[in-house]
Amino acid sequence: MLKIIRDKLPELLTAWARGARVLVPRERGGTRVFLPWEGEGELALGQGNTLEPPKDLFFPRTETMYRYQVQGKDASLAEEPAADARQVLVGVRSCDAKSLAIMDDAFLTKGYVDEFYRQRRENTRVIALACTEASPTCFCTAFGIDPGRAEGVDVQMWPVEGGYLLEAVTEAGQELLRQAGDLLAEEGDAQPPAAAVPPLQVDVSGVTEKLQRMFEHPYWTAVSRKCLGCGACTYLCPTCYCFDIQGENQGDSGYKFRCWDSCMFSEYTRMAGGHNPRPSKKERLRNRFLHKLQYFPERYGKFACVGCGRCLDRCPVNVDITRVIREVKEVTL
Amino acid sequence: MAEAARVNPLVPQVGRITRIIDETPDVKTFHVTTEAGKPFTPMPGQLAMLSLLDVGEAMFSITSQGLEHLELAIKKVGMLTDALHEAEPGQAVGIRGPYGNGFPVEELKGKDLLFIGGGIGLAPVRSLINYCIEHRQDYGHLWIIYGARSPADLCFKDDLFKNWPQVENCRVDVTVDKGDAEWKGHEGFVPAFVEELHPDPAGKVAITCGPPIMIKFVLQSMEKLGYKDEQIITTLEMRMKCGIGKCGRCNLGSCYVCLDGPVFTLAQLKQLPNEY
Repeated sequence: MLKIIRDKLPELLTAWARGARVLVPRERGGTRVFLPWEGEGELALGQGNTLEPPKDLFFPRTETMYRYQVQGKDASLAEEPAADARQVLVGVRSCDAKSLAIMDDAFLTKGYVDEFYRQRRENTRVIALACTEASPTCFCTAFGIDPGRAEGVDVQMWPVEGGYLLEAVTEAGQELLRQAGDLLAEEGDAQPPAAAVPPLQVDVSGVTEKLQRMFEHPYWTAVSRKCLGCGACTYLCPTCYCFDIQGENQGDSGYKFRCWDSCMFSEYTRMAGGHNPRPSKKERLRNRFLHKLQYFPERYGKFACVGCGRCLDRCPVNVDITRVIREVKEVTL
Repeated sequence: MAEAARVNPLVPQVGRITRIIDETPDVKTFHVTTEAGKPFTPMPGQLAMLSLLDVGEAMFSITSQGLEHLELAIKKVGMLTDALHEAEPGQAVGIRGPYGNGFPVEELKGKDLLFIGGGIGLAPVRSLINYCIEHRQDYGHLWIIYGARSPADLCFKDDLFKNWPQVENCRVDVTVDKGDAEWKGHEGFVPAFVEELHPDPAGKVAITCGPPIMIKFVLQSMEKLGYKDEQIITTLEMRMKCGIGKCGRCNLGSCYVCLDGPVFTLAQLKQLPNEY
């Protein structure tokens, strides 16, 4: 196993930044988010997760799709150039790493490939950082995720006394470690530290099957009563991928972009003419939980939740998906 | 990584409106083509994303097609459709598709088909009617029952009163909720009209589309007449943005209407959440 001492990590990031845009958790306005590494400054690789998941690096919150010109009855359009910049994402926790596999299912399978997502995904290397301490809202193990070793990443990192252990998982990961040169030292007998034990425990077995029989249940009225419909849960969720498509006119030209959308908003499903199949927060909150725990598992064979805890940490009225799972399992039909 | 040959399914082709037909005071049919010819060749019941680039984009059923064009019958209900109704022939549009499953034309072969439409709901059904007429030998008796609010609100009047009645082994019955001084046809709502005509369910498949309230009562009438859920097909309308099963909003349970629909049998719909 290879080791880098803590003080040398910025040098390694700088080496990677020569061929790619390096993104790493850093402090901004009192919160930790993935920000570009430009050769200097503090890193924020301590315990706990970033406020926002790294999904916007694959699926930006707004993204121009094409530009157009309109003149009288004539029009033309030009596609945006491919997003082919290489990215190296450093310090991704196991929960967020798993969210990429979920996004891959949504954007890359079932008949159509989303080109915007595919380009960014293929051009991004992911370096995971194991969790040795959990936050109070963590429950990744409920979904079979190992906080000590991420799936689907190029390099796995573990925090240890004085630095980090690193192990390449893929060919691309090996190449990244080769670029590190003598910043890395062989630590033959080093063992990865023990993984964190998330404090929130919830048993998700059988929840999909139970929910399949609960669409009309009065539980949804009760659980949605306090929801404000603010959408914070969907924006912070690493697996929420809904989007809107909108345009912006500037005189006789303009551009079409897509942006994050939220199933918690009434306009999301409202049709021209006014009909809305999900007219109140009851239907919208129900759809959010059913999507995570029933619809996505039915369609793609896995839960669309990774137990990162961001939604329950940030919900202004304490709607808590782990509590919903427990209550759903106890509800009488 | 850039592979120029890949086609981005979210980016439309630029085409033009070549012809506009006034169907009713609030429905027009638009013929759309591109410089290279027909934008694509849909199957009956499939959908297209049509846009005015500086206004907006929305999903519409494709009501028919020719060798060089697609036809979309569009009711004026919002910002984009208002702007489309103001457009003139020659107007450039964005178009992408085709989307959705379409009607099960293979499974319907050899069957007698009963089409029940209300208002603009005839638009998607018409694509199948015209397909059956083109492939006349593959399908049995065609029976079209259609209604609208008033005589002026009847869509596709040429088809209803001239073209379809001349088709071999095809019957057309039309009703309006309320007639006017010149109307000599039937008056009354579509569901009651269907019961009055009592089409025998034996060997038939019914295809229905119309306003939600009409569909609700038509389904009750069909049940009274002895139609089974597997014998009834409908096509749904939902708000859509991507058309390719990604953007999320048109889901019914784990199905996406843009991809797995818009055509469902009543038996299939009963397995899905009633959220449309």
